[in-house]
Amino acid sequence: MMEPTVLVVDDSPTVRKIVQMTLQKEHIRVITASDGLSALTSVADEMPALILLDIQLPRMDGYHICQIIRKNLQFRQIPIIMLSGKDGIFDKMRGRLAGSTEYLTKPFDSNELIQTVKKHLVNWQERVPVQHEGMRPRLRYRG
Amino acid sequence: MEQQERIMDGDLQTLGLQSILKMLALSGKTGKLFVHSGPETLSISLHKGQIVALHEEGGSRIDLPGMLCLLGRLTPPNAQMLRDLAQGDIQATLQMMVERGWMSMEEMQRRLEFAVTQSISHALRWVNGRFAFHRQMIPMGGKMRPLDVDSTLLEALRQADEWEEVVAEGISNITRNTVARWLPEVNRDVRNLGLSQECIEVLCLSNGEIPLQAISLVLMTPEARVARIMMRLLELRLVEVVDMALEAELQRDLSNIIIKSQHTLVRHRQTSNPEQLLQGLIITFADCINGLLAHHGHYARSMRGRGQVPESEVIRYLERRFMPLLQQLSGQQYPILETVTMVNGLLDCNDILTLNKVVKGGQLEEFYWEAVQGLSVFLRASFDMMLRDEVGNSHTGRQLNLAWKVFLSEVENEVQRYQLYRAQRNVQARGRETIQGATGPVGAPGSAGAPNWNGANGAWGGPGGEASRPNGAIYWSPETQSR
Repeated sequence: MMEPTVLVVDDSPTVRKIVQMTLQKEHIRVITASDGLSALTSVADEMPALILLDIQLPRMDGYHICQIIRKNLQFRQIPIIMLSGKDGIFDKMRGRLAGSTEYLTKPFDSNELIQTVKKHLVNWQERVPVQHEGMRPRLRYRG
Repeated sequence: MEQQERIMDGDLQTLGLQSILKMLALSGKTGKLFVHSGPETLSISLHKGQIVALHEEGGSRIDLPGMLCLLGRLTPPNAQMLRDLAQGDIQATLQMMVERGWMSMEEMQRRLEFAVTQSISHALRWVNGRFAFHRQMIPMGGKMRPLDVDSTLLEALRQADEWEEVVAEGISNITRNTVARWLPEVNRDVRNLGLSQECIEVLCLSNGEIPLQAISLVLMTPEARVARIMMRLLELRLVEVVDMALEAELQRDLSNIIIKSQHTLVRHRQTSNPEQLLQGLIITFADCINGLLAHHGHYARSMRGRGQVPESEVIRYLERRFMPLLQQLSGQQYPILETVTMVNGLLDCNDILTLNKVVKGGQLEEFYWEAVQGLSVFLRASFDMMLRDEVGNSHTGRQLNLAWKVFLSEVENEVQRYQLYRAQRNVQARGRETIQGATGPVGAPGSAGAPNWNGANGAWGGPGGEASRPNGAIYWSPETQSR
């Protein structure tokens, strides 16, 4: 049986490692990126079933990445869970406006993380289209 | 449509699996028999009354390439390649091994037949459950030789009887999902214990990850026999049974502590002066140590399986375990730790954190720096002690150790940031000493004339700082840089 792939984008290696360890235990494949640009490359290459996206990232922030993904027809269906140390209503609203599916506040609890991820992975196979050779979708970063 | 395809269904209590299989074999049926019991499902594909394939769901995942690698039959890169290509499909794994010449066709057949017998033997012991037979086309071209139902049933029944004997002998704590692992304190040579080859192989595979069912499959030894061997290894105190549920809970708890500590570290990263950075590190260390102590009070090996342990006993245990280490550190290298006490099984670092009310400037910084170093050593040593006690050298232990090291590297970055500032300040102070000569005493560390922390922080601290600073510029004083 194929395992869903989750992309974790966070500049902290600790967060990346812990999330990877936690989700792998639930038979979820995890790929990671430490900044916005490599995150976009991973989205295009791997077509993840879900993205866990930190807001404060070097080079390009999480809101911007979220907007780029949402503007792309091929990837707009991918659920994006924002991870942030800020839990103010303004930050949550900003995340929602950028197109995030859910908002998790750091420091998050492992059980909460698993539940949230699993909730958005229901029917993931129907959402992620089969990727054919030569049909590699592209994500463009303008500005 | 589905109703038309399903030609027979019922309750296992009314008609047992043995009878169903015999009936289908006698009438030469072709189709798929589904047997469900609880979360487990078995689907047996029949062609003209013979078993041509079997699929089991709801049981443990079996990593056949990984196990063959542990037994020295495959190299780690080859095992990984098979794992990636076969995606957990045992038949596909075996087929690929045959294609590459790593296994004979005959061995593949024996392994497939053994897996079928093993699964049927397990299902024969199900009392409650349902079955349904679907008349449908069975995709041909499977690699398994069709198996005669009678002989398969005979062997499966024999193995099921063997399990019953094992249970009757009182080995009730071992099931096909039991996972065992080597005890961390075993350091004697097991070859001197007179263990058989079979026992040694089971011992090799008892790494805290592989369930009994999988060991049985890879060694082609009936499950009941593996259970007996495991029991012997338990008696010899060579292995222990892993409580997977407890270990998953333990891993999540430790992960939460690491994530919280990382968050505390990040919160204190944006500081305006070195004292605040050091204070932030002390708070991070203290919070992390206390999180770990509370965790260990719950998951320590000696606290397990005793129900609700009185709090006073937990506190006594933690003090007995960790106070000597703290005293040793304060007595030998870090006298500042003498001010740290243990209250209700947790560290109280308030005396250090309120030092700013008593001392100021360079002296305060020196005290903080000593506390940071001392607590860092204490934190590392405590974590190692806890992990060794709780999970030993298991898969979970190694995973947690890896995550811990990553967290420590983030902490180390912050410590190094301060060390660089400190080195820079010392170089400057020495330079001034040379220039000023007899003009007067050099100011205390941290006093006026020391490198600008804000400037340094701006250049090194932010995520973009790394990229923005010129190569090696952090080692130069501001004067040199401006020159």
